[in-house]
Amino acid sequence: MCQVDEDYHGDLERAEVPNVSKKCVKCKEASAAVVIRAGDAYCRGCFKEYFIHKFRAMLGKNRIIFPGEKVLLAVSGGPSSCSMLSQVQKGLSRNAHKKLRFIPGIVYIDEGGALGQSVEERMKLGAELQAMFKATGFPFYIVPLEQVLDLPSSVVVMAPSSSEQPGSAYKSAVNAFIQSDSSTCLTPQDQEDTSLPEVQESHTRSLQHLIASVKTLTARQDLLNTLRQHLFVHTARTEGYSKLMLGDSCTRLAIKLLTSISLGRGAQLAQDTGFSDSRYGDIISVRPMRDYSAKEISYYNHMFSVPSVFIPSLDTKTTDKSSIQRLTETFVTKLQGDFPSTVSTIYRTSEKLQTACRSSSTANHCERCLLCMCALDTAVENASAFHATLISEQFSQTKVPGATRTQIPRQNPVTPVLTPTGQHCSSDGEENCGRKEGGGGCCYSAKQPQTTNLKTLLCYGCQMTIKDMSSVEYFPQYILSEAQRRRRRSQMKEEITEFLLDDDDDDDEGN
Amino acid sequence: MAAPITIHLEFGGGAELLFSGVKKHHMTLPSQSQPWDMKQLLVWIQQNLLKERPELFVQGDSVRPGILVLINDADWELLGELDYQLQDKDNIVFISTLHGG
Amino acid sequence: MPVLCSRCAERRAMLKRPKTGHSLCKECFFWAFEEEVHQTIRWGPASGGKDSTVLAHVMKLLNERYSYGLELMLLSVDEGITGYRDDSLETVKRNQQQYELPLKVVSYEELYGWTMDAIVKQVGLKNNCTFCGVFRRQALDRGAIMLKVDKICTGHNADDVAETVLMNILRGDIARLRRCTAISTASEGEGVVPRCKPLKYAYEKEIVLYAYFKRLDYFSTECIYSPNAYRGYARNFLKDLESIRPSVIIDIIHSGENLSVREGVKMPVQGTCSRCGYISSQALCKSCVLLEGLNRGLPKLGIGKHHRLHNKILAQQPFTEKEESKLKPVEF
Repeated sequence: MCQVDEDYHGDLERAEVPNVSKKCVKCKEASAAVVIRAGDAYCRGCFKEYFIHKFRAMLGKNRIIFPGEKVLLAVSGGPSSCSMLSQVQKGLSRNAHKKLRFIPGIVYIDEGGALGQSVEERMKLGAELQAMFKATGFPFYIVPLEQVLDLPSSVVVMAPSSSEQPGSAYKSAVNAFIQSDSSTCLTPQDQEDTSLPEVQESHTRSLQHLIASVKTLTARQDLLNTLRQHLFVHTARTEGYSKLMLGDSCTRLAIKLLTSISLGRGAQLAQDTGFSDSRYGDIISVRPMRDYSAKEISYYNHMFSVPSVFIPSLDTKTTDKSSIQRLTETFVTKLQGDFPSTVSTIYRTSEKLQTACRSSSTANHCERCLLCMCALDTAVENASAFHATLISEQFSQTKVPGATRTQIPRQNPVTPVLTPTGQHCSSDGEENCGRKEGGGGCCYSAKQPQTTNLKTLLCYGCQMTIKDMSSVEYFPQYILSEAQRRRRRSQMKEEITEFLLDDDDDDDEGN
Repeated sequence: MAAPITIHLEFGGGAELLFSGVKKHHMTLPSQSQPWDMKQLLVWIQQNLLKERPELFVQGDSVRPGILVLINDADWELLGELDYQLQDKDNIVFISTLHGG
Repeated sequence: MPVLCSRCAERRAMLKRPKTGHSLCKECFFWAFEEEVHQTIRWGPASGGKDSTVLAHVMKLLNERYSYGLELMLLSVDEGITGYRDDSLETVKRNQQQYELPLKVVSYEELYGWTMDAIVKQVGLKNNCTFCGVFRRQALDRGAIMLKVDKICTGHNADDVAETVLMNILRGDIARLRRCTAISTASEGEGVVPRCKPLKYAYEKEIVLYAYFKRLDYFSTECIYSPNAYRGYARNFLKDLESIRPSVIIDIIHSGENLSVREGVKMPVQGTCSRCGYISSQALCKSCVLLEGLNRGLPKLGIGKHHRLHNKILAQQPFTEKEESKLKPVEF
């Protein structure tokens, strides 16, 4: 069939070559220098004003960053986050109109270890970034990715949010701030003259084992994302920051949205792509660059000499089809070329979404994914894609007596799902074989059960990622020990459950 | 030297349109130094059989995504895909899934 | 060495399942495929059928195996496309005899007075898919009402659903994005028959292989009027994604099922068309607007958003010259 849901309102209009007027559409005087949207040509001066205004308007409108708050800027060295850094610098300067009033710091994660860069290469890039960060006068932290190996388990536990502040509190906080002598606390703290942190070779090796245990680039990129996030949150917590500022542009977010859909991360789309993300509780991520297209940013950086550094990543110089993330990027970029409203349309979709937390009415009761910390989206409903996959797995495996009477219970950390088939399970000293969950089926190797066990603690998207791993034994200790703690807890809960009064059945009912 | 082999090719699901609408082809692959594999067969098909719009059939060195390949009625994913070594009298079927339902 | 079936561990595996990566032999595949469809529909029987041979075959088989007690009928739409639909209707007629099911064919010509051939003559190849899609949706409802059935089953498969999720994101159509993963539509109002998609979780690959292995008589020619270009982008993208990670289709559906819309986002209010009574969020339903455009020789009437003109159409007033000039067919 050529159309699925038939009565669409016609297709998106294909790009007509814009009728570029020679004059700026804003001031109608100076000659135009940049075409922002189809037909909107701005002169240099108006473009600058528009660009700067948009940043402050975004922060002002959302009222999430409080005056005097410590905000950690995640800078990757790329154009978008460097542009964000320069906007913050401008906004904090003494004579800025609509001055920003928070206290910034910079965090950069050196992922060279995961990419197999030599120590020299890493030092060289590090020095370049160091020079750039020093010039801002802000405190900065250059953190090697290897540090994830030493993270505490608390990183993957949701912290209580620092008292929910209602909208009205924002205004009084601003007033209070203006009255107090604000000038002192706004002076950036002295930068310690930090040399780049040393990285132990054994740590780099462990990191590389972890990365190598992931068989596909798609899953590697996804895992790296998660680890990076953990390190950001940890750095913010230990250094006393309460907000994390991410430099995702509108173009990046459109790609991310489409990628997340393909990775089965629909449930967390709103948090992944919205202005703010509070999944960690105390540390809230914000994305003030989400209104800028990649094009605007690169024009601005070029025209007003905003420095940035090219940092290679996992998919640098790979082919279009090397990973889902990479393919999606190519797809969106090409489509944007043919239909200039592509990115903004996708972006608008993200504005209208909200995370569905099915597990419980009260958000605190949501079970959270061990890796990405989103609310678990694996409660099985009778007619869902997840349910269908579990059935397919069951139907594709060695016959179990009575399996024709299909009964797939809810997937839940405490409920074993599939009955064990027994015969293939080698007893490897763990309790896994007796209680197999998650439709992982019979263990094909001794390592399988651990993967299967971990699966139940993960959201759908992260389950897909660890499916591409040969073994989860290379996971950093903080993840494995938190997994163990959660399993013990749910076992305990199961054991005592019959003695409890039936106040609510939060965990046993999937919705 | 591997001896020439005869194979049976079949195109369906619309893929036959790229081969002048002919679904079944009996072909003899000439002898060559190494045994024939699927990768070489695709090149050979492109040079000898494909009539139009090669991009609708091949992409890179494999078939375009969405075209199913069966070797002796079994999914080629089970047989090593491009690395499968052709045997005399093999039956290879290409079915397009790209339109019609 | 042949790969053995992961289910029976006896016979040689014949396919690799994209959803799970398992390898199955023919017999186990047939069994699993059919049972999975059964799992999908067990809570809601349905009747009717489209042009999908596999759907008709599996529904009939399951109806007998599980005594659903359904009265199945085939419903087919003749869009009036020479060289395409007339051929495929022959297949449907053969299916009817094979499966001994009653067949109803409704044609655009009898319902709307226009065949697709005639429509393309007036509107050209650019927007014809919009006409065809809108008309088909209503034609199915009208046919279903003539047959007095309670439900329509369509042959949409997992690939179709995933593709629609992507399409709706690319178009920013939040209302459809929310609805498109629903397995079954609730009755939306008078004149609309609830629909369901029993093959919603079945991969296109498996459907094609099922038909191939079972030697089902099915028709496969692309519609001669080139398909919707924008959908083509989404389709190619999906196929490329699938080649990277085969489970991606079901993953996208999972994503779609778990999306929800922020409160306060305006959703269209369903009403009924003042002319034909069909459901519509506007004064006139899309189908009536398109038809009006065709009859007035202003085919673009239903393509853009011309809600302002609905009242004029209802009052049978002429348009101004300026209004008309925008809606004239493009010269081609």
